[in-house]
Amino acid sequence: MTDLIPLSTCLVLIPALPLLAAIVVAAFGARLLKEKSHYVVIGAFAGSFLLSCLLLLHLTATHAASSEQGAEPTRGFAQVVPLWTWAHVDDAYELRSTDPATAPDVGPHDFHMDIALRADALTAMMLAMVTFVSTLVAIFAAGYMHGDRGYWRFFAYVALFVFSMTMLVSVTNFVLLFVFWEAVGVCSYLLIGFWYEKPPAAAAGMKAFLVNRVGDFGFALALFLIWSTYGTLNFHDTLADGTPEPAASVALNGIVSEVAAAEPSVDVVRGVLGVRRITANDYVGGTVALAICLLLLLGACGKSAQFPLHVWLPDAMEGPTPVSALIHAATMVTAGVYMVARCTPLFMASPEAQLTVACVGGFTALLAGLIALTQYDLKRVLAYSTVSQLGYMFMALGAGTFTGITAGMFHLFTHAFFKALLFLGAGSVMHAMGNVIDMRQFGGLRKRLPITHWTFFVGCLALAGVPPLAGFWSKDTIVAAVHERAHELAHEVEHREHPNDSGPGHHGGEPVHQGANGAIHHFAQDGAWTQDGTTLTSVAWYAEPETAHRSSLDALSKTQLARYASIYQFLYYVALVTAFLTAFYTFRAFYLTFYGEERIPPEAAGHAHESPPLMWVPLVVLSVCAVLAGLAFDQTYLRVDPTHSFAEFIAHAPSLAYGAVAATKVPYEFHLLVAGISSAIALSALLIATYLYLGDQREIRWLKSVFDFEMIARNLDVEAVARWSRVGWIEAIHRQASAAHLGWLTSLLGNVVLMIVLVVTTPFLLGRTLSPYNLSQRKFYLDEIYFLVVVLPLRTLGAVCYVVDRWVVDGIVNAIGRLPPRLGALMRPLQLGLVQFYALAMVLAMLILVAAKMIWAAS
Amino acid sequence: MNESAMLYNYLLIGGVLFALGLIGFMVRRNMIVMFLCVEMMLQGISVSLVAWSRFHDDWGGQMLVLFIIAVAAAEAGIALALILMLFHQSGTLDMAFWQDLREEDQQAFVDHKVPEDDDRDRIWPTLTPAGIEPEVDPDEQLHRSKI
Amino acid sequence: MTPLPLLVGQFDDLLRSPLCWGMMLGAASLWLLFSGRSHALRVMGKVLGGISLMMLAATLMMVGDWSSQIVFCFVAAVTVVGAGAAVTARSPVYTAIWFAVSLLGTAGLFLFQGAQFLGVATVVVYAGAIVVTFLFVLMLAQPEGHAPYDRISWATFAVPAALVGAAAVMAIVLTSLDSLRAVDETTPTPAIAGSSQHMAELGSHLFAYHLVAIEVVGTLLMVALVGAIAIVLQGRKSAAESTGGAAPLPGGRVVPGGGGLPGGTR
Repeated sequence: MTDLIPLSTCLVLIPALPLLAAIVVAAFGARLLKEKSHYVVIGAFAGSFLLSCLLLLHLTATHAASSEQGAEPTRGFAQVVPLWTWAHVDDAYELRSTDPATAPDVGPHDFHMDIALRADALTAMMLAMVTFVSTLVAIFAAGYMHGDRGYWRFFAYVALFVFSMTMLVSVTNFVLLFVFWEAVGVCSYLLIGFWYEKPPAAAAGMKAFLVNRVGDFGFALALFLIWSTYGTLNFHDTLADGTPEPAASVALNGIVSEVAAAEPSVDVVRGVLGVRRITANDYVGGTVALAICLLLLLGACGKSAQFPLHVWLPDAMEGPTPVSALIHAATMVTAGVYMVARCTPLFMASPEAQLTVACVGGFTALLAGLIALTQYDLKRVLAYSTVSQLGYMFMALGAGTFTGITAGMFHLFTHAFFKALLFLGAGSVMHAMGNVIDMRQFGGLRKRLPITHWTFFVGCLALAGVPPLAGFWSKDTIVAAVHERAHELAHEVEHREHPNDSGPGHHGGEPVHQGANGAIHHFAQDGAWTQDGTTLTSVAWYAEPETAHRSSLDALSKTQLARYASIYQFLYYVALVTAFLTAFYTFRAFYLTFYGEERIPPEAAGHAHESPPLMWVPLVVLSVCAVLAGLAFDQTYLRVDPTHSFAEFIAHAPSLAYGAVAATKVPYEFHLLVAGISSAIALSALLIATYLYLGDQREIRWLKSVFDFEMIARNLDVEAVARWSRVGWIEAIHRQASAAHLGWLTSLLGNVVLMIVLVVTTPFLLGRTLSPYNLSQRKFYLDEIYFLVVVLPLRTLGAVCYVVDRWVVDGIVNAIGRLPPRLGALMRPLQLGLVQFYALAMVLAMLILVAAKMIWAAS
Repeated sequence: MNESAMLYNYLLIGGVLFALGLIGFMVRRNMIVMFLCVEMMLQGISVSLVAWSRFHDDWGGQMLVLFIIAVAAAEAGIALALILMLFHQSGTLDMAFWQDLREEDQQAFVDHKVPEDDDRDRIWPTLTPAGIEPEVDPDEQLHRSKI
Repeated sequence: MTPLPLLVGQFDDLLRSPLCWGMMLGAASLWLLFSGRSHALRVMGKVLGGISLMMLAATLMMVGDWSSQIVFCFVAAVTVVGAGAAVTARSPVYTAIWFAVSLLGTAGLFLFQGAQFLGVATVVVYAGAIVVTFLFVLMLAQPEGHAPYDRISWATFAVPAALVGAAAVMAIVLTSLDSLRAVDETTPTPAIAGSSQHMAELGSHLFAYHLVAIEVVGTLLMVALVGAIAIVLQGRKSAAESTGGAAPLPGGRVVPGGGGLPGGTR
């Protein structure tokens, strides 16, 4: 099978099939396909998924081959399939640099941009995950969207969405990454605003698009900075301009295999994430690296809904539920995580940036978890949980160790299954409830929707991180990675204090600057160069350098290290708290929806029943995945030879295979302590939720009233104060005083008392608004703050511009416009309507002309 | 013959004809008469053109006059059709009637005083009535008397 | 040399010439004829016109021998008198007739110049066809009496304005003609006037050099013919619509009743 379809064909076909489906559905959907549109799209997605599996097989086979033949255990592999050249500008930029890291790059650089696809472990994993979830979501949507007016339009958008996402993960340079980054944004805009007649949906689509603009702006700036720093935007190494191709088998279409790259005679342009650069660890550090990384992070925050750009994701719930599942699980929000993982070498160059990533992730995780506690919209709870889980992933990526980054990607992978499952489950509930999603309006649905109930239950367990479901493994790895990072940093501090004491996690010592020359193992290859059809492919085997890398931590002082260690330690606690919150709000939503007394909203009067098989089959498949994904890919629990096959697989991606990150690789182990703590937390949260929502409701009401300062607020209300003026004796005094013409005195006194009371009560009134419950319920007023800080000034500016435009600019234009009529009015009396008068005027004019001519001639 | 004298005389007469036509056009109010005055101006031009043609011993002038005659014929056809139509609409040949086409806020021209009809200006000789007097359509009568 | 003194000098000469006085008298006579209210004033105007004609005739140059000069003067007099009468006649019918007389004079002038074809064509086309058409339309539109607007001309200020304008035209013409007076010599008759094959030459010239123009003029005439018919038919239809569907009378006239007509007829 793997021989039948070569790797390059797989890689090209995976995005091509959804694109083809999109075109076919867009072209023929309205007239021919109509209610059959989903066959095309599901077929294409399934085909893509099968091809992705094939790609995975190809890669695992190659990895295995490399392990057998090579001496080194870890080896990077990437295959670039160039399709055609998109843009080429000779000598577009001359790099001048004094930084030793970019010294080999100094000189003129062409702007060379290929449309090229790349197969490496990271891409293959993302492709498989995206196409798998997309296929199931498309199948579910076929049932969910049945009868919608825009049925074919929906599937055309979805196919385009998946195409954009598959391209996003498989392109080979930053510009194309940006292009498909935007394409994903556009598709999400189209899908969130799919029911554009509904004002909230249109607004949500707009919001998603605009908030993403902010992130994309940062991303674009990051690209400019990368270009001006490294002189290229390609991920991979390419032949330098004018260099003869070393041999037909070595370089094709200007792309250099690492075998050739290792030859000192071959002059190459080192790609930003190219192997020559990674192995030499030639990344600019300091402020430039920090700027690049922070701008990239801003872009990732926009796409992956991290604070402060997370506000679009919960609103995106206005779109059809399968779209939510797609966005949350597979196609949109994972882009940011993928990008940060892909750019790991860049981030490794800047520990500050990594710390920022971790902090942003941690803060977002906590914030979203707190908000999710009190939401009543089922989909909104899930949306905030996605934001929270993405925060986890960023936290893991920010840990900056091999374990952390693989853990983040693993969580991305498992999260895709159970979040898709939860969203599709919510869609199933919505379907049954007649599009009602407010959990206060329904309840006790477990009898009506048995399959949804059980699959949702599995999804909740997975999300809550209850062992041995998928969420447990990935979340546990993240928490452990953060914990380890803090531990390692603390150890480093200790080591600096006592230099003789060395131990695991030691990265100090002499920084070793190592060139490309001679440090790379040449790896023999057989049949790696293939030519199939017209597509030329280049295969690159990457060997691992022998020597250790200089650690980016060397640049940090001891106090900084200590501070970093404490921050990571704090993040570890944040992660644990968030784990508690996650389990709590997940089961709160679960109990509110499926337990308690049975309530069915009037909208769903006739059809509150289980969804058709078309919809519940994907749920079952996903729930199986949600149960098994963790166990199947994380074998650290094994007594003998613990391994992590997922991490082991994606470790072959060049970004993770070499350089600083590879140096942080430690043997896989199962952190029993961390696992124990987190599962204990998850279970306790589960039990508390069970007690609060299945037990007596009085406790929770009482707690809520305490948190709301209800008693204090009731007695210190302004209205309560106003009522005092009607108290009998006060009124009597006032009447007496008025009779003695001293009414002003009592009024003054009363007003003074009122003022005092108001001043005293203000904090309490504020506190009522800002009580924990309210804060959570109103999403910490973030939307309102954004409205005040961003939207309102812009609107004011808009209003000012409008006034200027309307009255000043238009005024001038109108004044100019009014001038000709005024001038014309001067001539108007000539229009007498008497033909003879016109004739007379003509004669006189003619006379004047002739007379002038005569005078002219006479002179 | 004295060619330059010839030219002088002809141009003088052509100019007089042109000027008379011009005066007539500007002074008379009957549309048909105005049109005749335009034709008279054309005649003045024609006379000059023929004179120039002879003076320069060139056919061009005469050719132009030929075309003037042709164009005048075409013009007469169209103009008379238009005048007839206007007459159908307004019931009068008075050019002043169409001063409604002036700008909105302009004063209308009003005849203050019309001189009395002079007997000697009677155009049609009256015939002695003979036979039975034909019955006249009152509408027609009404309409005609307005002309 | 500045132009103004030259011009002033020319006008100075002009003011002393009989031509100028003839023009002024003519203008006065026209003024009397246009605005004269009484019969006596009109007669006076006619007398003045005669005098001005005499003065103009006196300024004419000798075209050759006396006999031809007399013939020329006669023909010119017919033309100018006809034109003047046409302009001043109160009745439009008389205008048309006097115009025809003026045209006959013009035809005579053409013949005198040796432009035989044009003379004949003027009589046939103009006097014969066009003027008759005018008369026909006049009869159609105005079969009885004469309208007040024929009795009055434009308001008093317009008549002098017109006269001054026309006088200025004449002045310019004459000023430019002045140079011609100086030349006084007998020259041979030009070929186009003395040719015995006048028609043949005219025809060959016409069709040799102006063929396209001839075709265009033919087309123009055709278009004008169709256009005239179309206008009349269209006008009749729209008149019928605007009168609320009043049926055209058997005579082809539409009774302009109702208020749909501009200005109304009452």
